[in-house]
Amino acid sequence: MKFIDTRQDPWHTLGGEDGPMPSPNPAPNLLLTLEQWHAVRENWTPGLLAGVKLPNHVDVEVLEPDLPRLGLVALDFPKWIDGRAYSQARLLRARYRFGGQVRAIGEVVVDMLPLLARTGFDAVVMRHGYNQESADLALRIVPTHYQGDVSVRQPLFARTAA
Amino acid sequence: MYKYTDFDTQFVHARAAQFRDQLERNLRGELSDDDFRPLRLQNGWYVQRHAPMLRVAVPYGELNSTQLRMLARIAREFDRGYGHFTTRQNLQYNWIPLPRAADVMEALASVHMHGIQTSGNCIRNITSDALAGVAADEVVDPRPYCEILRQWSTLHPEFAFLPRKFKIAVTGAREDRAAIGWHDIGLHLLKNDAGEVGFKVLVGGGMGRTPIIGTVIREFLPWNQILVFIEAIVRIYNRYGRRDNMYKARIKILVKAEGQKFIDAVNTEYRNILERDLDGSAHIIPQAEFDRVAQCFTLPAGVAPCAPQPLRDDAPVAVRRWFERNVHAHGIPGYAAVTLSLKRTGQAPGDATDVQMEWAADLADRFSAGELRVTHDQNLLLPWVKQSDLMALFEAARAASFATPNIGLLTDMIACPGGDFCALANARSIPIAEAITERFSDLDELFDIGDIDLHISGCINSCGHHHSGHIGILGVDKDGAEWYQVSLAGSDGSTISGASVPGKVVGPSFAAEEVPDVIEALITTYRGQRSGAERFIDTLHRVGLDLFKSAANGARSATRSPNATATA
Repeated sequence: MKFIDTRQDPWHTLGGEDGPMPSPNPAPNLLLTLEQWHAVRENWTPGLLAGVKLPNHVDVEVLEPDLPRLGLVALDFPKWIDGRAYSQARLLRARYRFGGQVRAIGEVVVDMLPLLARTGFDAVVMRHGYNQESADLALRIVPTHYQGDVSVRQPLFARTAA
Repeated sequence: MYKYTDFDTQFVHARAAQFRDQLERNLRGELSDDDFRPLRLQNGWYVQRHAPMLRVAVPYGELNSTQLRMLARIAREFDRGYGHFTTRQNLQYNWIPLPRAADVMEALASVHMHGIQTSGNCIRNITSDALAGVAADEVVDPRPYCEILRQWSTLHPEFAFLPRKFKIAVTGAREDRAAIGWHDIGLHLLKNDAGEVGFKVLVGGGMGRTPIIGTVIREFLPWNQILVFIEAIVRIYNRYGRRDNMYKARIKILVKAEGQKFIDAVNTEYRNILERDLDGSAHIIPQAEFDRVAQCFTLPAGVAPCAPQPLRDDAPVAVRRWFERNVHAHGIPGYAAVTLSLKRTGQAPGDATDVQMEWAADLADRFSAGELRVTHDQNLLLPWVKQSDLMALFEAARAASFATPNIGLLTDMIACPGGDFCALANARSIPIAEAITERFSDLDELFDIGDIDLHISGCINSCGHHHSGHIGILGVDKDGAEWYQVSLAGSDGSTISGASVPGKVVGPSFAAEEVPDVIEALITTYRGQRSGAERFIDTLHRVGLDLFKSAANGARSATRSPNATATA
């Protein structure tokens, strides 16, 4: 799991005084809203990977045809107990074979980390003031599980039978 | 019973360690109470009226005597000497201080128990028929499937924060003793014409504010597909279930709102998992895994068919009554299943003291291969009793206060802990249950009244299943006072009760002191109207509700004047 320090993160958003710029020019490491991406996707530079922030009530399927052109999908937890983005991440990885970064943003807390790691997230922007030691412990304290997931696809019964 | 592997043992200890870390972070101020709340809930810890409440999982109701003795010890050493068995086959404690929570979880883990997912917006403890594996009318033993489902749902990373709680019930008998129509997912194991095992799958049942009976989504799903199919259901729910209003967040609301669209979405998702996902077929259950789990559920050592021993003709009436109500038909010749009644005067329905739990554990060791079950109607059950031991068991159970011959009768009522303990309750359940138990303490009268389901909930969350009672009582709050709504002709889906259906409210709420009179008026009406040996519920169906409603409303004393009538 990559813990993102937003001050050093190459990916950046394009804001504006009146909200996000409606149709930004292609540039490296741009993290766009879904609306921005939809506005520019037709004219986006071939080979240049974009990043998109996807709200948790939007079907990940809207990004399916674009996934080869994306280097980052940021999935939102407006509240940490709202678990929709786990399904989004799982679908991005297991069904749509997305190989770029899947990043958790919003209210991301330490005790979500095992769930994030297992549903396909590989990067997190933690909520302010978290404790790194607690985060590291949370990731390893229950080391193995019964059901398969994105990182260990086979369930326990298939792993132990082999 | 399922035997824990090394992995299972390490897993519950790891979970206990995880909870200890979370509790310690909370106690030292690193983890706020708000953030700790969902975490402690998913380990069974609520904060209630007096102290935290702990709900311990009893997976599909199966317990051994060692586990029950540990539950007794925890009651004695950490609580005030008792526990409460619930309709979902779990056990609740009411008085354990939160700082001691981690020690309790460690003690539970030492006997392969835990509180994982007994609360919170996740897949809850899976419930089943208390007679699973022993019922005379069983088609398929549901226990191996329950265990496989338990493992699959435990700490499922995608489904830990659903819109709302999610309950699964499984039965494998002809008679539905698990109320599957009332669950988020109800599973009925059956065999097709070719003798293959599969599930009839229901989805979207539930009680609460909006009682709804589950819809059949599959008539026959091959058994080995069940994890994939449930994954499809729960994923659709996680993605599309409402999160804007907690009262509309259960899957039943989504199923009802979307209808066929929901069913189509689940079927498409199911196909997509199998056809499109990386290793999408990884959760099809291999025969070898089923066999590994199923071999835990073979007959206990020493249990083998033997000569039946019918009750002697000259047995005393007390024994006859106990045989009639508490002794149940068994799949193995010469055996019986026996209910230990937790419904008696002086104790709340489903409550047992530490000493009573130890007595029950002793009875299990002596008469039932060390095994017990927690029943959906809040009793304990011994599943492996030799018919030749029944007289000895009767004497021992009587000495231990478990032999009240009232199973299925009026005083074998279901009741939640209510306002005496529960922070959610609008009204108390226990004094109502007590008053009714006292009013109907005459065994001759109880036997004459016969089979009847009386269910009491202290609030609309319906933990006491008032919707499914032949008579349902619901506590409501009006201007800070306790009132009780009475409903009639609900059904849990059993053969006696008919197809699952919520009861109909008889009229404005009653005052607490009126409730026993209302029950008596209903019973008197039944006894006057019944034809032959007709049951209460059948008389209700035949005669119609109006006569009963007016009898109930005629029992008003405090609420008779129009000014005093509650409209809740």
